[in-house]
Amino acid sequence: MSTRKISISVSLVSTLLILGYYLFNLIPMFQKGDLNSEDIFRLAGIVIIASIVLNILGNILTNIVINIVHAIQTQSDKEVRLIEDERDKLIGLKGTQVSYVAFSLGVLIAMLTFVFGQPPLVMFSLIILFSLIAEIIGDLSQFYFDYKGA
Amino acid sequence: MEKRQVRNNIRKLRFYHGEMTQEQLAEIAGVTRQTIIAIEGGKYAPSLELAFKIALAFGVPIGEVFSYEVGDE
Repeated sequence: MSTRKISISVSLVSTLLILGYYLFNLIPMFQKGDLNSEDIFRLAGIVIIASIVLNILGNILTNIVINIVHAIQTQSDKEVRLIEDERDKLIGLKGTQVSYVAFSLGVLIAMLTFVFGQPPLVMFSLIILFSLIAEIIGDLSQFYFDYKGA
Repeated sequence: MEKRQVRNNIRKLRFYHGEMTQEQLAEIAGVTRQTIIAIEGGKYAPSLELAFKIALAFGVPIGEVFSYEVGDE
């Protein structure tokens, strides 16, 4: 497995964990029907900060683990070549494009719920939800583009 | 219009260059081994710059490495 695939996997797993946490906290609020702005905004804040922190920590830990595994396998202290070439950049760009399209559709759906009479907090919650889903779709599409060639 | 695609002789050229490994070629061209695998398998058409770098690694003109032919698909 290439280093880029590992870092996409780390991003995918961390986003899935955050999505799980978000839904775990959001669904009971909807079921009880007590949507208050303080809880929703706090949850959104936690999700956004956790997403940034987990991605940074994940990448740092991945690099450390890759270097340790490489050192053990090759019995040398030579660092792993972590280069990003033109194909990696192209796959990354295509993944971002897919992610943007997915997020745009999500925002559109969230707007529609507002148009059809749902409170603004529902729209806000859905925008956060679709931002996480868009990131997951973007990561999965990168796997697909990598498999396809680019 | 007939559909053309970029084809390459990288596998053959690697063989003629003392069974040069994909890793070695990747290091010379400054890309990852996965990119060399994708190019060799015809899944990815490289940029002009990378195509020149690969040709330079074998010491042959670019036309000997890559060609633009009518595809099977």
